[in-house]
Amino acid sequence: MALNARPAGRAGVPRRVWQEWLTGYLFVLPSVIIIGIFGLFPIGYAIYMSLYSWRVRKGSYIGFENYLKTFGDVTGAAAFFGGLLLVLVAHWLWTDAFGAGRGERRRYAQAAGALVLLAAGVAVALGWQRMVHTGDRAFLQGLVRTVYYGFGSVPIQIALALVLASLLFQKIRGQELFRMFYFLPYVVPAVAGAAVFRTIFSPRPEFLANTVLSWFHIPPQRWLFETKPVLEVLFGGLLRHVGIEHVSGFWAGPSLALVTIIFFGIWTFTGYNAVIFLAGLGGIPRDLYEAAAIDGANRVQSFRFITVPMLSPVTFYLTVLGFIGTFQAFTHIYVMRQPAVRDAVDTASIVIFDTFYKRNNWSLAAAQSVVLFGIILILTLYQSRFFGRSVFRG
Amino acid sequence: MKRGLFVLLGAVLLLGGVTTALAQADSYENVDPSGQTITFWHQHSQSREAALDKIVEAFNASNPYKITVKAEYQGSYGDIFRKMLPVLDTADSPNIVVAYQNQAATYALGNGVVDMNPLVDSAKWGLSAADKADFFPGFYKADVFPSFGGARYGFPPNRSMEVLYYNSDWLKELRANGKISFDGPPTTPEQFQEAACAATKSPYSKATTSGAIGYELSIDASRLASWTFAFGGNIFDDATNKFTYDSEGAVKAMTFLQDLFKAGCATIVTEAYGDQTDFGAGRTLFTVGSSSGLPYYKSAVDEGAKFSWSVAAIPHTTPDPVMNVYGASVSIPSGHSKEANLAAWLFIKYYTGATAQAEWAMASEYFPVRKSVANELTDYFASHPAYKTAFDLLPYGIAEPPVPGYDFVRDEVASDMAAIMDGASVTDTLKTANATANEILADQLKNLPKN
Repeated sequence: MALNARPAGRAGVPRRVWQEWLTGYLFVLPSVIIIGIFGLFPIGYAIYMSLYSWRVRKGSYIGFENYLKTFGDVTGAAAFFGGLLLVLVAHWLWTDAFGAGRGERRRYAQAAGALVLLAAGVAVALGWQRMVHTGDRAFLQGLVRTVYYGFGSVPIQIALALVLASLLFQKIRGQELFRMFYFLPYVVPAVAGAAVFRTIFSPRPEFLANTVLSWFHIPPQRWLFETKPVLEVLFGGLLRHVGIEHVSGFWAGPSLALVTIIFFGIWTFTGYNAVIFLAGLGGIPRDLYEAAAIDGANRVQSFRFITVPMLSPVTFYLTVLGFIGTFQAFTHIYVMRQPAVRDAVDTASIVIFDTFYKRNNWSLAAAQSVVLFGIILILTLYQSRFFGRSVFRG
Repeated sequence: MKRGLFVLLGAVLLLGGVTTALAQADSYENVDPSGQTITFWHQHSQSREAALDKIVEAFNASNPYKITVKAEYQGSYGDIFRKMLPVLDTADSPNIVVAYQNQAATYALGNGVVDMNPLVDSAKWGLSAADKADFFPGFYKADVFPSFGGARYGFPPNRSMEVLYYNSDWLKELRANGKISFDGPPTTPEQFQEAACAATKSPYSKATTSGAIGYELSIDASRLASWTFAFGGNIFDDATNKFTYDSEGAVKAMTFLQDLFKAGCATIVTEAYGDQTDFGAGRTLFTVGSSSGLPYYKSAVDEGAKFSWSVAAIPHTTPDPVMNVYGASVSIPSGHSKEANLAAWLFIKYYTGATAQAEWAMASEYFPVRKSVANELTDYFASHPAYKTAFDLLPYGIAEPPVPGYDFVRDEVASDMAAIMDGASVTDTLKTANATANEILADQLKNLPKN
């Protein structure tokens, strides 16, 4: 009644509401300006640059040539991205199509989902092969290494962090000290940490990592200098025994050099993740555990059925941020890479840097950045689609 | 008839006027540099910065045009390169900048540097014929860019050279024990191999660390170039403007090194300057590196196994040594007035003059770029015999190519070099490397400025 008593503004909106809106917008304006200038403008400018021939100086408009150069021919890219889209379709068919019941229609939908998933796999594989054959091989191989890096480090970081946090959440002496120790790697400057890792993982037999291996009678490894895929390093003898000299391709895994860098990623972020998990653990109501204990649940069961689901929002948050971070990772990889290892550790961000500063091809680097940005967006969308729903939101 | 004569005369006058105007556009003869303030971006720190500041002060105090030079440390070569890119061809760029040849070439792609030929050749401000002849030819030519129609985008204030570092005492030990068949440092690849393999089996008696290796190779495009030069090849053909990484000399050089690795007489350097440390500890008999590392090698040996050591030409198959000389030059960025450009050149001329060069060489331990400076370094040579040995090799110097994108080529080539040392086919790898290098170069030159 009181609202109606005030004179109405434009389109019948009360003046007080207008004032509230205006105040709200004025409050967010500084952030919008800062994000606009330093966040959105560079993205827009990168897209703009990518459409021109730009080598130190802006050249002529070339449209999507840089994207074609990156992906190779249109067919391969269409097959690859179409395949990725089909994965989403398959997921929708499996979970959402025709409701959540158990009827015959749902079974058909799931069968269709399985077929679509198969088709998606074939399209992705064929499209990728064609892209690698015709596109910018360095960048595309960099993407593969980025995937290795992300999937090799984030799940392990999360799992280790969860275990660590659960242990630290117990009533143990010196808990604060342990928390600090685990958080320290995150605080250490990446360059300094990476430089220390270079020393630890030196190929010299007398250095730390190889000394530890020697205790177990394992021969010294070349670590950051090893270009062989990890499958060959681990099972080389066995493979040679069955007549396989060298393994290659995606399933041979990353090089040992990249695995060493993955160790660094795990070392850096596990403690950080553990601290975030600890905050999450503090928010779980104790009475849930008490009720479970009364019902006869042991500690493992409580962890499995209470802690893990209740922490799922934190896990989801850390996973999303973790993958975004690994796809953007640069500093420590740049510090740890060696000429002798060739391109075995060059993830997408490293390739983009080299395209910009060494190839002087600014527009191609911009196009590659836009592609990486798109991939990170798609990945986040996938995570949200596949895992977001299973997050416990209270 | 008369009318025709007038038309002809008019045409001649017009043509003459246009030609004169075009010549004057590049001419500095009537430009007055008085009162200009010049900024100089460089990467020298600590004692080198102090020495440079002294030279700058002396110039500021003595030049009759009241030109003031302000030298500013701007970080490493890479930092300077990255700072330069956004300010190319603007008044925000410095008047003088330290730049490697390939960096200057990149600036040139964006019209970001001044062609110094008109300044160097100016009758009023430039260098006399005698002055030009005083420069080591390899140094003087290194900043002339064939890819840019012979433009000069830099001028050399100092240079370094790739040399062979060797442990004299260990070589003597090997000779005394009958492990090698020659005296002194190796001069041929065969002698080098003989000594490297002998050293691997017979560690140095006074080594302060365990293990022994004949040669530690740092994976680097300059090493590949140096060994290729030593085997009579080249990595670039100025006539065709193309890389020649698959030349016979390169194939022979890489095959030689690969054989050393296969025989277990060589290994790659695993840490930054790890070869210096191992050399100082008496673990490595030979390394190949920049002469600018002389003071660091001295420290490594003094803090390590304390033996006699020196430098020599890289063992070669050519009648005379062919040495890889390199070093950043100074360039004049565009975006400034002709008066400022001339003032910048006058400082560069002073900086590369005999007096300043002698001071600079002794303080920086770089090589001077003028032959006549040797006369002023007699005492210094006596106290730094390794420097003197390297200095005597300067007339044999040639340079790596001054082309845009060479940084990227270097990375690619270093990768290929690593692959070869890992056992990859030398011929195939170098063929691929050459194709890649030429692709990169062609890609860079697509955007060559038209003017």
